[in-house]
Amino acid sequence: MTTTMVSPPRTPRVRTTSVRTALFILKARAAVVLVALVLLFSYLAPAFFTANNLTILTKHVAISAILAIGMTFTVLTGGIDLSVGSVAGLAGMVAGFLLTQGIAVGGVSHYPPTLICIAVAIAVGLLVGLLNGWLISKAGVAPFIATLGTLYIARGGALLTSNGKTFPNLAGEAARGNTEFPSLGQTFLCGLPMPVWIMLLLFAVAVIVLRKTPLGRHIYAVGGNERAAQLAGIRVPRVKLFTYLASALCAAIVGLIIASQLEAAHPATGESFELNAIAAVVLGGTSLMGGRGSVGGSLIGAGVIGVLSDGLVMLGVSEFWQMVIKGIVIVAAVAIDQLQSRVQAKFLPLLLGSEPEGAA
Amino acid sequence: MIGGQARVRILAVSAMLMLGGCRRIDNSKLLIVVIVPSQDNPFFKAEADAAAAHARSMGYRVRVDAHDDDAFRQDNLIDAAIASNAAAIVLDNAGADSSIAAVRRAAKAGIACFLIDREINTIGVAKAQIIADNRQGAEIVARSFVDGIGPGGGDYVELLGKESDTNAQIRTAGFHSVIDKQKNLVLVAAQSANWSQSEAFQKTETMLQAHPDIHGIIAGNDTMALGALAAVKSEGRKGIVITGLDGSPDAVAAIRVGELRATSLQPAVAISKLAVDEADKFLKTGSTGKPELQIIPCDLVTQQNADDFRDFEKVR
Repeated sequence: MTTTMVSPPRTPRVRTTSVRTALFILKARAAVVLVALVLLFSYLAPAFFTANNLTILTKHVAISAILAIGMTFTVLTGGIDLSVGSVAGLAGMVAGFLLTQGIAVGGVSHYPPTLICIAVAIAVGLLVGLLNGWLISKAGVAPFIATLGTLYIARGGALLTSNGKTFPNLAGEAARGNTEFPSLGQTFLCGLPMPVWIMLLLFAVAVIVLRKTPLGRHIYAVGGNERAAQLAGIRVPRVKLFTYLASALCAAIVGLIIASQLEAAHPATGESFELNAIAAVVLGGTSLMGGRGSVGGSLIGAGVIGVLSDGLVMLGVSEFWQMVIKGIVIVAAVAIDQLQSRVQAKFLPLLLGSEPEGAA
Repeated sequence: MIGGQARVRILAVSAMLMLGGCRRIDNSKLLIVVIVPSQDNPFFKAEADAAAAHARSMGYRVRVDAHDDDAFRQDNLIDAAIASNAAAIVLDNAGADSSIAAVRRAAKAGIACFLIDREINTIGVAKAQIIADNRQGAEIVARSFVDGIGPGGGDYVELLGKESDTNAQIRTAGFHSVIDKQKNLVLVAAQSANWSQSEAFQKTETMLQAHPDIHGIIAGNDTMALGALAAVKSEGRKGIVITGLDGSPDAVAAIRVGELRATSLQPAVAISKLAVDEADKFLKTGSTGKPELQIIPCDLVTQQNADDFRDFEKVR
């Protein structure tokens, strides 16, 4: 902050500490809200804070968390991916098609093994991500518009896969050797549901990429100042392409998990999921302008949304009120985000003044 | 890199291919426009497909549109039908009140409207309103639900459709007119899952946690019943009575193996065919020969008679 050159008053230690505490709470607001919600619902609904329900809760959170992890990448570059819900729907339908219809070669249906079905579904999802990345970084289409377009394209593709029908019975048949699909969303490993493990794995990879690799630093640099990043020799288009591929990958995985849980692929699956993912990212403190934020925040943001909706269901709150409450939480989170920036700007000189070595 | 000229050529070729994909319109046949809420829901899809196939077999040109339960979108589609000089519209409308103006506009333009599945709150504008009896359908399912839980009674939960939807309200009213007479059946939670399978799955999982000893789940449609079934299975729970409504093929299959207790089949295919028959008669003779409001009862589907039903149609 170069504007505040008025010499900061030397304040007593106490005041600095309380400012620091206030700033910490503001920064960790999503986590604070999450803990508060968990305490509130545990108090109001006796069954809320039980091992069983928390397991189910994390499974529900995993769906929006995985989408939010992917979304964080695009948002960090100052972009956005509106196509994730459609990509989830499309991936589920592709897997559903391969599992139940197989591939007809010369009038005979061949049923590929489950892993191939999953791989093809993810590949189709990545194709949409590739298209997003190409449109945005090479064709110069604004991310909002490019991914809005692919939202429709992928949804149309999902509907075309089955001509609008649902693919039921994804459990497969032993004779076809493709009975493993339900385990993707339904099995437990060390007491945790598989979707939660998938979420943790993707989270770990995302953290490593963003924190420990040059690519991660490039993502933040592109979001902070694209022009400067370009002048610094960062290959901006390649960085952007990567973020949209990451987002599409996460979306495709979500589509597969849902299809696996329901043992059915429905072409409308994932409608408006993008909004949940964006809400989670924003709640987690990632700036929609890019350059600032973290996947950890998005994970907590997804937690807030998941706890909120499950808790309200448990209390028997009507759907209409659930929507109102969710909206208030999202708007409040962004308002606090602005407040934090202002408070931080105001007290920065004070904090820097009291601790000149500046542990920023 | 592709040169500018080559790129233009590629664009031109792909445009030609796209145009080539569209068939030229044959103006010698009369057009019937079928407008349904969506084509990704098996029920509306069966309804649209049946109307389209039946009308084509009678020598009409057919166009199928979907309004996504959006009255504004429906308005635009009706305008498009008027602009295309449709002879008749077969419509599953987007709202009992919000559709009246659009249907009236079509009628003024000289297009005969045949409403299927849901009614509008006015008489004398459409040529026919052929409606599945949602109330009666809900009641017969509710009776089977009560029988399934048995004389001991117990707690149950309800999954409602989209609460702003008239049919969601009619169905839940139908359920409760039967169930509420049973004093030992207690509704412990009611949530909307917006007709959606994945939403019903998640909400049922959570409700099973909040209310561990429920004996039944009554769902406003089959999609939600199947979502609830998946949740009950993933929890490893046994003996929970689940019913749906609509008669979708997936639900009928689950009833056949005893996983769902019952559904009631809305005769979507029969209604669609009837509407096209009446449209044909009206276009040829100037009258359908029937009263405007025709209410078609639903059939109860249970494990005993599950083989009699296929794709929203009673085949035996």
